[in-house]
Amino acid sequence: MPVLRLPKFGKPVKYAYITGRVRAMKTKLIPAEMYPRMMSMDISEIARYLEETQYKDEIDALSKDYSGTELIEHATFSNLAKTYRKLGEVAIDEPRFLILEYLRRWDIWNIKTVLRGKFYGASDAEIMKYLVPAGELDVEFLDGLTKKDSIQDVISAFDGTDYASALSQYDGKSLATEENALDKLYYFRMERAVGGTLSVGGGLLLKYVRREIDIRNLITLFRMNRAGVEANIIQDNLIPGGKLHDELSRMAGQPFGEFLRSLEGYPFWSSISDIATADVQEISRIEARLKAYLIRYAWALSNYHPLSILPVLGYMVSKETEVSNIRKIVRGKEAGLPAELIEEQVVVA
Amino acid sequence: MVVAEIIDGGILYGLIAVGAGLATGLAGIGAGVGEQGIGAAVVGVVAEEPGFLGKGLFLMLLPETLIIFGLAVSLILMFAWTPFA
Repeated sequence: MPVLRLPKFGKPVKYAYITGRVRAMKTKLIPAEMYPRMMSMDISEIARYLEETQYKDEIDALSKDYSGTELIEHATFSNLAKTYRKLGEVAIDEPRFLILEYLRRWDIWNIKTVLRGKFYGASDAEIMKYLVPAGELDVEFLDGLTKKDSIQDVISAFDGTDYASALSQYDGKSLATEENALDKLYYFRMERAVGGTLSVGGGLLLKYVRREIDIRNLITLFRMNRAGVEANIIQDNLIPGGKLHDELSRMAGQPFGEFLRSLEGYPFWSSISDIATADVQEISRIEARLKAYLIRYAWALSNYHPLSILPVLGYMVSKETEVSNIRKIVRGKEAGLPAELIEEQVVVA
Repeated sequence: MVVAEIIDGGILYGLIAVGAGLATGLAGIGAGVGEQGIGAAVVGVVAEEPGFLGKGLFLMLLPETLIIFGLAVSLILMFAWTPFA
């Protein structure tokens, strides 16, 4: 377990370079007012627009092999991976350690994607399309994983690693238990590695991550309480480590109306109060609002700690959301969904 | 009597010279501490936005003004105010 012991003097200076850089990178993100405009464009127009933004290199490079939705999906994931890798490369010392620890979530994403792909019999190339090699697992390793014949082969590739215990929970019928175990493993490892540093930056990262766990658990509660799932099953699906874990656990299995009433007064309530009603149809609207709240939370925290990991974290979350928004719009348009429905799914902080 | 000895022996002038040196030196160290963060941040921004170089340099040079204060105090000590006048 890596343990950092850095002198206090000069510590904020280690963050000056990376925070200056991400603040400049933030200005290149697609502005919120562009999303409604993108919804009125067709897919080729969106690709042309993206060519004028930070996605230019990827769109140019991939336009020989792909077009339309495929081009945009490939280009956005490729750019996301490149951007995250760049952050890890340009940071030093503590910020680098914290960034790499945070980016391990993409290892989890990639493992889940490969397993899902194998589970549903997708081709190697199709699985590779959805991978984001921004974490510790590199492209070669992931390429090798996608070429494995079965889920068991993929699982045995992780023998002797931290992932083995989570992956061993695969029962051959569903991936849900295993995916939940992988999520829990990610947060457990982060708490273990970052909490062990006793650094101010690590404490701030954990503060954000605890709020993120709460929001993820809240979304789980919204979905499962709405579906009337039993309390003990919901509690098994909640990720431990959040600040409000005990309070949210008690809300598991509550009737939906009572559950909504018990959320009143929490800091995130004002973000969802107008749409979180007993007759809400689309939980995904609430999910989008909660994710937007999380981005605002990250940037608000970074205003209190300008020379810390938080601006970097805010950027990473904003960038991921941008890519997810573009993909939602493009996929929604391809599927012929009405613009209002797509707009509800787009996360705008 | 003691004061006269200090003046005659040049000790006072020596102390003034040390004070003048400290005024400029400490101001320089202070500016350097200030500039390290600004400089690192400016380099970070310029790496992404080369057009920011002019503004960045201006911001980076702001703490340098502290040295001018220190230097002014040193010059006053050395040349404008002197017990020998």
